[in-house]
Amino acid sequence: MHAKTLRRWLSIAAAAFAISPLVQAADYTASDEITVLQGFKPGGGSDTLAQLVQPRLSEILGVDFVNEYMPGATGAVAWTRLAKQSPNDGSVVSITNTPMLMTNYIMNDAISYTTDELTPIANVVTDPGIVVVNADSPYQTIEDLFDAARQNPGTVTIGNSGVGGDDFFTTILLEQATGLSFKKVPFQGDGPSATAAMGGKIDASFNNVGNVYGQVQSGNLRALAVFAEERLDSLPDVPTLKEKGIDVVAGSSRGYSAPAGIPDEARQQLIEAFQTLAQDPDFQAEAKKRAMNLDIVTGDDYRAMFERMESQYRQVWDEVKDDVAQ
Amino acid sequence: MDSSLVMTGLVNVLSLTNIACILGGTLLGMFVGAMPGLSATMALALLLPLTFSFDPATGLSMLASLYVGASYGGSIAAILLRTPGTPSAAATVLDGFPMSQQGKAGQALGISLFASFFGGLMSGIALLTAAPLLGTLVLEFGPVELFAIAVLGITIIGSLAQGSVVSGLLSGGLGLLVSTVGMDLTTGTPRMTFGQINLFSGIDFTVALIGLFSVPQALALIENSHRSNKVASRITDRLVPRLAIIKRLMPNILRSSGIGIIVGLIPGTGGDTASWFAYNEAKRFAKDKSRFGNGEIAGVAAPEAANNAVVGGALIPTIALGIPGSSSTAILLGALMVQGILPGPNLLTDYGDVTYTLIWAVILANVALLIVGLAFTKMSVSVTRIPDGFVACAILTLCIIGAFAINNSLFDVGLMLGFGLFGYWLSKAGVSPAPMVIGLILGPVMETSFQQSMLIGNDSFGVFLQSPIASVLLVLALLSILQATPVFRWLRQPFKRRLKHG
Repeated sequence: MHAKTLRRWLSIAAAAFAISPLVQAADYTASDEITVLQGFKPGGGSDTLAQLVQPRLSEILGVDFVNEYMPGATGAVAWTRLAKQSPNDGSVVSITNTPMLMTNYIMNDAISYTTDELTPIANVVTDPGIVVVNADSPYQTIEDLFDAARQNPGTVTIGNSGVGGDDFFTTILLEQATGLSFKKVPFQGDGPSATAAMGGKIDASFNNVGNVYGQVQSGNLRALAVFAEERLDSLPDVPTLKEKGIDVVAGSSRGYSAPAGIPDEARQQLIEAFQTLAQDPDFQAEAKKRAMNLDIVTGDDYRAMFERMESQYRQVWDEVKDDVAQ
Repeated sequence: MDSSLVMTGLVNVLSLTNIACILGGTLLGMFVGAMPGLSATMALALLLPLTFSFDPATGLSMLASLYVGASYGGSIAAILLRTPGTPSAAATVLDGFPMSQQGKAGQALGISLFASFFGGLMSGIALLTAAPLLGTLVLEFGPVELFAIAVLGITIIGSLAQGSVVSGLLSGGLGLLVSTVGMDLTTGTPRMTFGQINLFSGIDFTVALIGLFSVPQALALIENSHRSNKVASRITDRLVPRLAIIKRLMPNILRSSGIGIIVGLIPGTGGDTASWFAYNEAKRFAKDKSRFGNGEIAGVAAPEAANNAVVGGALIPTIALGIPGSSSTAILLGALMVQGILPGPNLLTDYGDVTYTLIWAVILANVALLIVGLAFTKMSVSVTRIPDGFVACAILTLCIIGAFAINNSLFDVGLMLGFGLFGYWLSKAGVSPAPMVIGLILGPVMETSFQQSMLIGNDSFGVFLQSPIASVLLVLALLSILQATPVFRWLRQPFKRRLKHG
């Protein structure tokens, strides 16, 4: 009936289920309730992260977390709200997806927030990029795929999760690094892109490890390379592009940010909570179970991550925007 | 199929707690389904964290039954109030509401319930027996095939255009046009958004649907509230349909269930599409087409059987391949991941005990649907005893809450009211909103898949002829269009004349 009340009630109930009665004293000073603005629909990747992280954070900080879902414009509706219209007293945070957070406003002038209007708290997970092909694909190695692109430039079809998403930019980064050119086919999300590769409708899909790990393990998809710094423990046989002398490291990350100018004490407490969380073996085990690749980067380091991505993707977009928006 | 795993699944479901959870989940689902704007997907996502602390079988039973209940619940408000509770129930309005006006609301709801039950049961059985086989079909459907499906779907507009063909096409064309609002898939360029970021993701189809159907109805109720001849408020007809009627509807229900299963298993199309396809086919096979739109029971049974069959259909690729067939099943997949199961094709083998529990839960939820549904529906019929003025206010309130709930956005409420006024004007002008709804549903599918097909096929239209599935579907679409024109009549004329002379 009262959808919002119902929703609030449910999320509070969910939090109540998760926290044991022994909430300890280390109380969060700024507020007794933290609203989390979610830029995507309930049930998506951000929501999954929230369900994993927030019950534990609420135990550490002694506050309730209330999720508020406001999907739209690939997260930009929620992030605009966070940057422009939310109290900066530490009572409101949002789950920030990078590079989407920056590419949104780099690509569209109508999106007006910037990362300068945010206080980065902590990155939590990074799902590295991966190249997958159909199990029956003639491409056995990443070199095979590159050779095909070299012989017939612009015809090898590469699926991505949508224009502006991480896989789309990863494809461009790869093109710039290798001088090759691919035909980029956007899908509405990582899932449809992987399915199209599985059905042999496209030559390869640039995806994220967490989305395709099960299919790679079972042999429906073949992983040719990962866009990570080093080989992954979960896929030890899959080479990185760095090994091949191509310096492209990319993925999709999710973390938490607050509006700019929140009280120092609140910022510090939030950051420490994430640092405590990073050490929690139970949390690590739970994340592993859900195929989430933890990559906890807090405070100033998370800010540096924002800045690095901002300049990298701005540069990429400046070079390609005229081709994309023909 | 490993029969011991199948039995383990059944035994897992058959505990007192789980049966209670299935009954509760079904009831909750029906309620959510009946409320415009509250969807199964939303309720599943919100219930999911609660089930973490449950036993896996209990949690899955509850989630599955909620999904099943919501698929039926949408028809209640569609029939009684001309307000589809879920997008999949929009087609049910066409014949369900006229039945209600004729004082046959109970009968319409009964048929909707039984059709939903049979549709759900059939898809559950398909899920149990043929999932691995049907699952592989999914991979055949890429952008090219999806485009062909969308084109075939668009041709339904022609057969829905009651009265004036021109106004039907106009309404459908408007739907397609409105569906282009938002970011272009291949370039990321915002189109017709006027710098308003709330429009970047396009106009939420449910927002438009609520406005187009529900607001005009509320306004019409207010307009007519002084009239005394209220047929719908004197409902005493029986809820449980007679055996003879069910028997007569069976071919229709079977066909519609088949459509629901197939449409459900294709990722990218769901209950909203399936119900229109089923409605259209029911009309095509009917001897007397003129009764459609005026309270024909087959027009209620078809979309309702189809949209409940979508539940099982959408679960087929989910469990056979780890690919969710709909946004709701994506959340069910999330529920499996919490149990430490990674989505992949080994759900039926390595994790068979949990997966078969889910399948049995879906089947049993349909039985629960029948039981709980009879009680719930009986109760909801009493809505028609409430004076029109109050009902109108309640509808408007629900519309506003529903439109807000979709994205927690006031902008959407304004948009919904805008569509409402437009819908009111359309109804005064005698233009049906149904073709517009089809345009809104299929427009984005068609555009997206067309752009993807062109990229894959190197900008050549030949790509559509290279795929056998797409070719067949496109030929069907062409025939379907020709059927609505006098071409066939012209072709037949020489033969007729010869017969007359001979």
